[in-house]
This record gives sequence, structure tokens and C-alpha cells, in this order.
Amino acid sequence: MARDRTQREDYATPLRRLLLGIVVLLLLAIFLVWRIDSPRVERFRAQVADRVVPPMDWAMAPMTGFINLVRDFQSYQRLAQQNRELRSELRQMQAWKEAALQLEQENARLLDLNKVRLDPRLTYITGVVLADSGSPFRQSVLINVGARDGVVDGWAAMDGIGLVGRISGTGRTTSRVLLLTDAASSVPAVIQPSGQTALVTGDNTPAPVIDFVENPDLVRPGDRVVTSGDGEVFPPGLLIGQVAEDRTGRLRVRPAADFERLEYLRVLRHYGTERITDPGGIVAPADAGSAAGAGSPAAEPDPASGPEAATDG
Amino acid sequence: MAELAPTRLVAMRALYVALALGVIFVHLLPLTTHPVRWAPPDLLVALTLAWVVRRPEHVTALTIAAVMLLADLLFQRPPGLWALLTVLAAEYLRPGPASQGETGMIGEWLGFGLAVLVMMVANRMILGLLAVPQAQMSLDVIRLVLTVAVYPLVVLFLQGVLRVRRPAPGDAAVPGGRA
Repeated sequence: MARDRTQREDYATPLRRLLLGIVVLLLLAIFLVWRIDSPRVERFRAQVADRVVPPMDWAMAPMTGFINLVRDFQSYQRLAQQNRELRSELRQMQAWKEAALQLEQENARLLDLNKVRLDPRLTYITGVVLADSGSPFRQSVLINVGARDGVVDGWAAMDGIGLVGRISGTGRTTSRVLLLTDAASSVPAVIQPSGQTALVTGDNTPAPVIDFVENPDLVRPGDRVVTSGDGEVFPPGLLIGQVAEDRTGRLRVRPAADFERLEYLRVLRHYGTERITDPGGIVAPADAGSAAGAGSPAAEPDPASGPEAATDG
Repeated sequence: MAELAPTRLVAMRALYVALALGVIFVHLLPLTTHPVRWAPPDLLVALTLAWVVRRPEHVTALTIAAVMLLADLLFQRPPGLWALLTVLAAEYLRPGPASQGETGMIGEWLGFGLAVLVMMVANRMILGLLAVPQAQMSLDVIRLVLTVAVYPLVVLFLQGVLRVRRPAPGDAAVPGGRA
């Protein structure tokens, strides 16, 4: 029996070796191709996720719900106490709501007075979170809107309140949102009210780091951090969160979005900010040649006729 | 036995793939989208290596490569590298045709720990050489420790629930080859 087995092994072994070699080379090739031409492989990855994850959705949603139910069970035990706390909180909230309503009306009136128009092109698509990255080293989620719905790489994703991340990789029906907390994410931001610009960089912790602040003394914990719109990826003015200081004294952002439970995300349609390409002509008076050095341009009689006069002459 | 064996072989291979898919599925559940301070054990590697040590004919290199590559793609890891390391570790641990002696549980555990350690170090070194950005070291260390710690449980599960055991010396050689 033993001899029989070794004989068969002898036939099988070279074939196995060959197969193993092919597999190893193939995997190595995939890795190297990824390293060399990352965007193409990432597109392939998005397609794989697009094919694999949505069919699992029917099982994923109830499983997630069930596990969350079990997790919440402990809080059910404290139901009565929680109820009391909620009631008192609700009373406070009602007072706040009154204040908020008054402020809203006032704000609307002021906006009306100033004839402010918020950007009408900034509409959004809402998507449901299908899956997370499945790994503690990467912070991203998969949502169920994709290229079919017109989602484009780089668009901002928000929950109801704050920025969550940006689209990074779209499949036909799914797209991946790279969260602010991922190590690969950095977002140009402005810290209000001091107006300092900074870069909000994720580092795999719940609170991303604020980097490249020109004058950190002007920044205080509690300040609002909003996107600056630099780099033309995000529209300006999206709320990111509040400044906080960690134990080592580094400035971090406590995100306004609730990263504990990301369920519905808004993907903002953003068609880019208008770019000023014109270097800007010289604002010169009509007879620039004769008036050179004669006085300030404001003293000239008719600056509006300047360009025509220049082309005539 | 002889006519039963091929169907059983196919069934066990399918079982491995199904279990691996189950593990991937659980990892993908969006339970927490918050960054965590610890990393869960790499169950896929523990499962694969424990199975390879017991019944090498159930898990071929091709199956391992396919499963791990899928995991790489879905888990946002550099595709191919971790799959490659797992395939190599599986080949290293795969009992050869000549191996008769049973290493005890402790020996097997040590071998597994060593393999995973080498895999993780190689992973970090290769990524470092190619200047791929990596997560902090502490996560990898926690992952290593937890993976090694969870290995006996995986073995218990395989032996107790799925009846995947080493062929006893008296057993007939399993037909079907290992290619």
C-alpha cells in the first residue's frame, strides 16, 4: 500500500510543482501589476466588489440587524432609566427647538435681505451602506449607488450632518467611500473662526489629525472645521467637525458625522468650481500712453471706454 | 470507501470554499465603521493552514490562491501579496508524502505560529520595500497574537464539528491525488 502511494505521488509531484509554480508566479504578477499600474487594478477591484457584494446583500442586512439587536439588548435592560433620561432631555430639546425655530426665521429673513443664493447645483444622491472594508487597516464603506446613478470619483459623501469621506472607486451599482479616518485620506480645510487653512489627515484613529496649520496658537479646541474647497475636489464649506486636542497636544478633528453607525450616505453632486484662467488684464485708462505717470487711474474721466480705445489705437 | 471517496473529496473541497466565503462575509458586515484599536484574528489563514495540515488533499494550492485573492480584493489589501504568502505557508506546512510521524498539537501550533510570523514580517518588508503606505505596527502585532491564540479553537472546530482529521495510519490512502 505504502509503495503504491509513493508511486502515485511520483507521478503527481512534478505536475503539482508546476501548478504551484504557476499559481505563485500569477499571484506575484498580480501584486506587481497592482504596484505598477494601481488605477487599473483598483478599477478591477471595484468591479469584483460590484459583482460579489450586492448578491450577498439579502443576507447581510438581516445579519447586521440581528447582531445590532443583540448588542442593543443590554440597553433594553435599562429601559426605564433611559426613558426618564430621555424625557428630561426632550424637555431641554423643546426649549432648544423654539430657539432654533426663531433663529431659522431670522436667518431666512437675513438671507432674503442679502439676496444670498445657496448653490443650486449642489444636489445629492442618497445611498445605503452595504459593507465595510472588512479589515482594520482600511477605513472605507461600500454604498449601493454607482456609475449607473452618475456617481463620479472624488465626490463628497456626507451623513446628515458632516463630511464622511469621498468616493474612491465606482462600480456599476456600487461605489466605495474612502472615509476621513483612512490613512490615505487628506482633506484641505479651514478652521473657523480664525480662518486658518489646514489639512485634515486620517491615521486609522477615530479622530483625524489636523496638519499644516500656519499658526496653531489661533486654533482652539471647539473651533469648527469646514472644507476649504482647495484642490477643487470638495465644494467649500462642508462641515467636517470640531477641533480637539489629544493627550500629546496634537490637534485633531472630532468628526461631526457619526462614524459609529454609517447607514445612509449623501453623495453630493459636484461639477467642479469655476476656474479663473484669465491672468487679468491691466486696468488702464483710455489714453494710457499720454496719461502715464500723470496721476491715479481713479482720476481718469472714462475708464469704461478703455478697451475700445486701446484696440483703435 | 473507494467509490465514496471522490464525492467526499469534492464535498470537502466545496466545504472549505463555503467556510472561507462565510468568514469573508462576516468580515464584510458593516457592524462598525469606526476605526478600532485592535485587529481581529486572521481566521482565513488559521482555517486554511489548520486544514492543510490535516487533510492536504482537501485544499489545493489553486483553491487557496483563489480564496485569498478574493479576500485581498474585497478587504482592500494589496491584491496578490497576502494570497501569495498564504499559498507558500500552506506549501511549507503541507505534510509531504513521506511524513509519517505525527507532530503533536504543541509542535503543530509552534509551526503555525512561526509560519504566520514569517508571513507578517515578509508582508511588511515587501510593502516597505515597494513604498506602499502601511497601517501602524501595533495592529499587525495584535493580529499575529490573536491569530495564533485562536488557532486551537479552529482546530477544535475542524476536528470536532467537521470531522476533518489526519488520516489514521491504518486508513487507506486517499485516492484522488493531491494535485
